[in-house]
Amino acid sequence: MQEQKWPEKYPIEGKRGRKYGTVAAMKIGPMVKAAIGSSVEAQQEGKDIAYAFIECNYDEILRAMDIVPVWTENYAGICGAKRDAQRFLERAESLNFSRSLCTYALCGLGFDEWREELGEMPPDAPWGGQARPKVMLSSGQILCDPRNKWYQAAQQFQPDVPIYNLTGLYPIYEYDVDLHEVEGYYAKYMTEDLRDLVKFLEEHFHKKIDWDRLWETLKLADDTTDLHVECRELRKTLPTPMDTGDAMNCMVPQAFMMGTQEAYNFYRDLRDELKYKVEHKLGVIENEKYRLVWAGGLPSWFALTDFNYFWSKGAVFPVESTYNEQVYPVRELDLPKTDDPLEYMAWRWIRRWTYWYDKAKKRPGSEPDVERTINYIQQYNIDGIVVHEAFSCRSWHVGLIWLLNQIAKIYKHIPVLILGKGKTKEELYRKVPSLILESDIIDISSYSEADTRARIDAFIDTLEAVKSRGK
Amino acid sequence: MPVDVSGGGLATADKYYQDYGSRARELKKQGQRIMGYLCALTPVEIIAAAGFVPFRIKGDVNEPITKADTEMETIVCPLVRSCFDMLLKGKYEFLDGIVIPHACDSITRSYSTISYSLGLSYSHFINIPHTTKDISKEFFKAELDTFRKSLGRFAGKEISDESLVQAIQLHNENKAKVRELYQFRKSDPPLTSGTEVTKVLVAAMGLPVGEANELLDGVIDEIKKRAGPPAKKSPRIMVVGAEVDDIAFIKLIEDSGASVVVDSMCVGTRDYFFDVDIGQHPVDSIADYYLRKLNCPRTYREWTGETYEEDLEARFGDIGGFIKEFKVDGVILYLLKYCDPFGFEVPARIKYIQSLDIPVLYIEDEYSMSTIARLRTRIQAFLEVLTR
Repeated sequence: MQEQKWPEKYPIEGKRGRKYGTVAAMKIGPMVKAAIGSSVEAQQEGKDIAYAFIECNYDEILRAMDIVPVWTENYAGICGAKRDAQRFLERAESLNFSRSLCTYALCGLGFDEWREELGEMPPDAPWGGQARPKVMLSSGQILCDPRNKWYQAAQQFQPDVPIYNLTGLYPIYEYDVDLHEVEGYYAKYMTEDLRDLVKFLEEHFHKKIDWDRLWETLKLADDTTDLHVECRELRKTLPTPMDTGDAMNCMVPQAFMMGTQEAYNFYRDLRDELKYKVEHKLGVIENEKYRLVWAGGLPSWFALTDFNYFWSKGAVFPVESTYNEQVYPVRELDLPKTDDPLEYMAWRWIRRWTYWYDKAKKRPGSEPDVERTINYIQQYNIDGIVVHEAFSCRSWHVGLIWLLNQIAKIYKHIPVLILGKGKTKEELYRKVPSLILESDIIDISSYSEADTRARIDAFIDTLEAVKSRGK
Repeated sequence: MPVDVSGGGLATADKYYQDYGSRARELKKQGQRIMGYLCALTPVEIIAAAGFVPFRIKGDVNEPITKADTEMETIVCPLVRSCFDMLLKGKYEFLDGIVIPHACDSITRSYSTISYSLGLSYSHFINIPHTTKDISKEFFKAELDTFRKSLGRFAGKEISDESLVQAIQLHNENKAKVRELYQFRKSDPPLTSGTEVTKVLVAAMGLPVGEANELLDGVIDEIKKRAGPPAKKSPRIMVVGAEVDDIAFIKLIEDSGASVVVDSMCVGTRDYFFDVDIGQHPVDSIADYYLRKLNCPRTYREWTGETYEEDLEARFGDIGGFIKEFKVDGVILYLLKYCDPFGFEVPARIKYIQSLDIPVLYIEDEYSMSTIARLRTRIQAFLEVLTR
């Protein structure tokens, strides 16, 4: 077997065992570290800082107003990835927060309480610590009770920090309700809520938003998303040039840096790298045997090397649902024309969340998440489905069993030849095999490497059996 | 046939409590249509106005969750899982449809699972904003109108304003009767136990509102006639929490030597102590009630005061009011595992209750009879502290 020749421009990443990751993904760690460091510096300089959550539709407003966002979920994820979350989780637990709650939130609350008690960062805080905010921006949306409640709970330690809660609703998928009959009042609500948010920020930070600058920031963010979509499309190629292990890093600019030139440049470079790899047939692994979709759930940040284990078995993930909810190009959304950037943001938000609704209606028994996964299976030539169930998060980890069951019920596309008596051949179709991994996002005490890998082994055996019975 | 309370309201309540859903099953056989729902945030007035019997789906602490676990993650609130388990096991086979509100992640995320698994002819999800501002209320009114139209289509008739007003009035009567029932708990010792009241409220939530009102009348008449109980005084306990749809926990407290005199939970004061306003447009009143009056932590309440303590008073002042009104000696904060909206408030609730010089015990439970022995020890220890 001839070994792939790798160009110097995109060298194999030898460190940390990630053999064939993208060069772009290698930049993420330093980027995040720099962002966290600069937010700590911003606190020292008395700059305008806001606690914020990802995918809440206020990113461009913050960027256009020069407000430094502190992404609290991100910081918890870093504590988890550095395997240093336990002390903050335990501190939150000692305050009577149940360990069954979102561990991102518990980590953040434990950290905040400690920081407020000390009047400075907790000892050896990962990457310098989490800066103290001047405001906190909650967002309940349809899912994620923690985002609705976390900052309110944090006010117990920092009561002087006000909250703005941007509800951020979008229509839920219903068979008997036409999306286009209801989305108008959703957009109106979102627009007005964004307007109130801007007023809140203007009042608290004593400065006015520059609407032209907001438009420019939106344009930059949309162009960035287009590049990100292009990257996702390039991953359809056989062999795939990038997999989910990398995507869990490369989501950072989309989730935490939208509306910045840095995010745009990142996806431009990633797109160029993937194009090159596609042209030169440079895959994540040399001999792709199984192509998988990561169909739901956040990863265990402390165990991203599990992806390496999949690679060692010849399995790659060309696509994932996680962090892709808002990654659709504006040109496909058919947004109503408006001169109001907030109305534009509202429509863009709703149309992205409902991107799969009309498509799902065409397939009996389908739903948006089901439809999206089926689409991925078809477009990315997928052999198996993997989901991760994190025990502490009901927002993104409930409904995954149903998703798998529903796909199995309505979508059986793998051809299997059954040899009958008298050497008859019958072609049947079977469901796509699936695997449920169980652990948590940052609580390492919930994780068993041996158990996880045993499950992966069994799953690979199933995939192999299916392949060998196929045509 | 209406509810027969000739044998005593409490005996009738016991019958409907023990065989929850039996009356809805009878009504179904008689041609009525039954609409199941989860959570106090469902606007039952609209369901009733459409001509359906609103039927609150409850779980069963005595029944191990089995079938549900094949279709729903075990990280879901155990009460929701138990409800789903009961549905899958055919306990509520008489339902014509189901309505689920945007309450918490456990309920919201289960909507697809529940609606598809049951294969009912009708299901609908009502989106509820997380904030109580005017723009949120305007949105919510539009969303209620969508529900009204959707349910009207399923019912085969438009839901008129008049029928909505009539349903609001009937449900307000229901709330008033429950408040009247709670008055019997103010005496020391109380004239009725927390176990009895919980049983009555649970039985009532499975009946058409008119029949629930008859049941409550029968219970109130019966308790009125009671002679005062023996003057053996016991600690007066308030239970604060999310939802309790079974007497097991309340009975455990009372069997341990205390009286549960009031609560801040569903099924309890949270869903019965405030009315839907009459006199304005019915959808406006319904929106106002479910968004602003129904004090569930899934809805974020913006600060109206200046300090954190004022915020706590705004959020939990009703608890403080009940503590005074019902002369509470101690509070048990009782939550089920995986309850996110309440879980994040535990330290704040404890802080608030302690600020009133009232001892508080926090329990996180699993919605199963298997935990009773362990809980008994903790409750007895707490009561001992109160009686010292």
